[in-house]
Amino acid sequence: MLLAAHQIEKRFGELTALHGVSLHVEQGERLALLGPNGAGKTTFVRCLCGRLSPNAGWVEMMGKRLPPRGGRAELGFVPQELAIYPDLTARENLSAFGRFHGVSGRRLRDRVTWALEWTGLADRQHSLVKTFSGGMKRRVNIACGVLHRPRVLLLDEPTVGVDPQSRERIFTMLDQLSEEGAAIVLTTHHLEEAEQRCDRIVIIDHGRIAAEGTLADLIAGTIGPQRRVKVKLVDPLQQVNGFALDPDGRGLQAKIADVARDLPQLISEVDGAGGRIADIEVHAPTLHAVFLHLTGKELRE
Amino acid sequence: MILRVLRVGLLRLRHNPVEVLLALVVPVVFFTIFALIFDKQLGAGKTKPIRVATVDCDGSELSQQLLDSVAADDLVLHNKLADRHGADDPGPTYQQAGDLVLRGDVTISIAVQEGWTDSLETDNPLPLLVIADTSDPVAPRMIESVLQRAFGESRAEAQATALKESAAKIESIKANALAGGPAASDPTASPSDLPGLPPPAVPSAETSSQTQPTPAALAPLEVQKVDLFGDGKANPVVSMYAAGIAVMFLLFSATGNAGSLLDEEENQTLERLMCSRLGMTQLLLGKWLTLGVVGVIQVAVMFAWAQLVFGVNVLAKLPGFTLMTLATVAAASSLALVLAAACKSRGQLNAVSVILILTMSALGGSMVPRYLMSESMQQMGRLTFNAWAIDGYNKLFWRDLPLAELGPELAVLGGSAVALLLVARLLARRWEMA
Repeated sequence: MLLAAHQIEKRFGELTALHGVSLHVEQGERLALLGPNGAGKTTFVRCLCGRLSPNAGWVEMMGKRLPPRGGRAELGFVPQELAIYPDLTARENLSAFGRFHGVSGRRLRDRVTWALEWTGLADRQHSLVKTFSGGMKRRVNIACGVLHRPRVLLLDEPTVGVDPQSRERIFTMLDQLSEEGAAIVLTTHHLEEAEQRCDRIVIIDHGRIAAEGTLADLIAGTIGPQRRVKVKLVDPLQQVNGFALDPDGRGLQAKIADVARDLPQLISEVDGAGGRIADIEVHAPTLHAVFLHLTGKELRE
Repeated sequence: MILRVLRVGLLRLRHNPVEVLLALVVPVVFFTIFALIFDKQLGAGKTKPIRVATVDCDGSELSQQLLDSVAADDLVLHNKLADRHGADDPGPTYQQAGDLVLRGDVTISIAVQEGWTDSLETDNPLPLLVIADTSDPVAPRMIESVLQRAFGESRAEAQATALKESAAKIESIKANALAGGPAASDPTASPSDLPGLPPPAVPSAETSSQTQPTPAALAPLEVQKVDLFGDGKANPVVSMYAAGIAVMFLLFSATGNAGSLLDEEENQTLERLMCSRLGMTQLLLGKWLTLGVVGVIQVAVMFAWAQLVFGVNVLAKLPGFTLMTLATVAAASSLALVLAAACKSRGQLNAVSVILILTMSALGGSMVPRYLMSESMQQMGRLTFNAWAIDGYNKLFWRDLPLAELGPELAVLGGSAVALLLVARLLARRWEMA
């Protein structure tokens, strides 16, 4: 295990933000931390970074217990906000944050050059960051957190407010780091990012881990692997054997475990009832459904 | 629509109490400060007493009466140097009287030269020396008026005494004559010929020099003003204002720049920095140095302009100027960090710093020279950087005092810089960890 958190508990006065949260991340792994607003994701990340001192529990890195503060040179942190200097150029920002992370001299110059190439900003290295687009700023923001080659990179919503192209570019950058062996832990509200770009997902709610595992694990442990089928009929029907019709009789919904076996049977039952099918939709179980299943539909303010 | 715009504006104000506070409180604070500065002075037809030292090297009855009369005047806050007591005791010197003015202990020293009373009977009477700090241009004129009035009163008193003595002598002569004594042989003798008798009347100082030629005994008091500061300087008073303005704007720019800490807190740069190898102490010291460098450049530009355009001789006082500037900038930077570390937001910092800096500047002499203030206000002003910094720069450029005289100012400013930096560090703990 590269990084492990054990029974982290954090209280703010009367409010307990984290109730003994534990997780681990392996080398090269991409872990998504999901949860509604106020679930405790950011508090947990801050505990991992050493910015918050937990009331109980501890953090371990490469088998070594970390102090509540400091001793996290192998960790990189990218905040949700654009935590860079807008009135410095891209190169100046990278140099500054590289130096703050203990990189200096030739190594710093090499790393800054690498970061500019990595972010695709080499041709804008001497431009002030405040003149950049949102996506470019986000890339600089991320690059400032990896100049010291951290083994674990913690990112708090790294793609918030950027267009799909920039998001794609950012995940390509993160994939590159992951391939080089860095573990990536990111919090996000973009469920498809977690679904498509991460190896493992942890869902936090009310300061507790609600579910953890691969997408398949989560689906199996919550809503099950059945596909949801929606059938639209040309003419309304009174009854279809074994399936519940919509109130207007023009459609029906069903859950099927095996598409190859169960879908032909469904079509055959509709035919048998004298119905004509206008359209069929087959929905695979999604993280979205898992998320709502675990955290509910109630608004979190 | 217009009313809706008004309503929105008022609602926004309601939700920004700091702005409202700034708009309402700052004028009241300033009104109070300036009212305290000028109350019972200009507005009430009164003037703040002038700090005056007197030196009597003549030691005559007239000189003593004159100085006592000056000391008793409402306009004078007297600081009496010892009188001459005898041949073995040389008493206070002209140099000592001048030193008091040079150091700013008094605004004016009045020195009565030896032989002054006797010289009044001659065609070339000795002048009274008025050694003045001409940074206060009003005080010497007021003191000259006080002297002329006191001189008239003293002469009148002496005249009355002499008349009484003369009358007694005449009575004695008459008695002797009646008894066949020596005066009987000189029938033309008159009271005015008698030794020590003053002229019958002393006209006022204003009129005596304008109406008709008068004998020396009737002439108004001769006063010689000695300017210890202005002589040889191109534009000496400007240095005072340069110091005052420089310190005030130094405080403004330092607090403005220190607000970057709050910006960094808001956009999580501080969070990121605290996750790096940078410690809070290093961060604060780095910020402090940044504020210091900007401050030194700011003050240097200000005084360079004062030298180029107004002739303040900064280069001649470069070591002292450097020390004073470093100490002032250090203190201002530390105060700025304390304010930034104590405030929760940029808006709060702006409000607090505007109120504090303008108050400090008003009390400390950046806006109104402190010599115009009452003693209590002047003492209150010493709680501000402005007063100490301005005093230090004045010692250099106005009073021409040596470097060693800057000790108190450097100690206060330097000590404040260290103490406030420690306070800022303590306050900054809130950023370190929750």
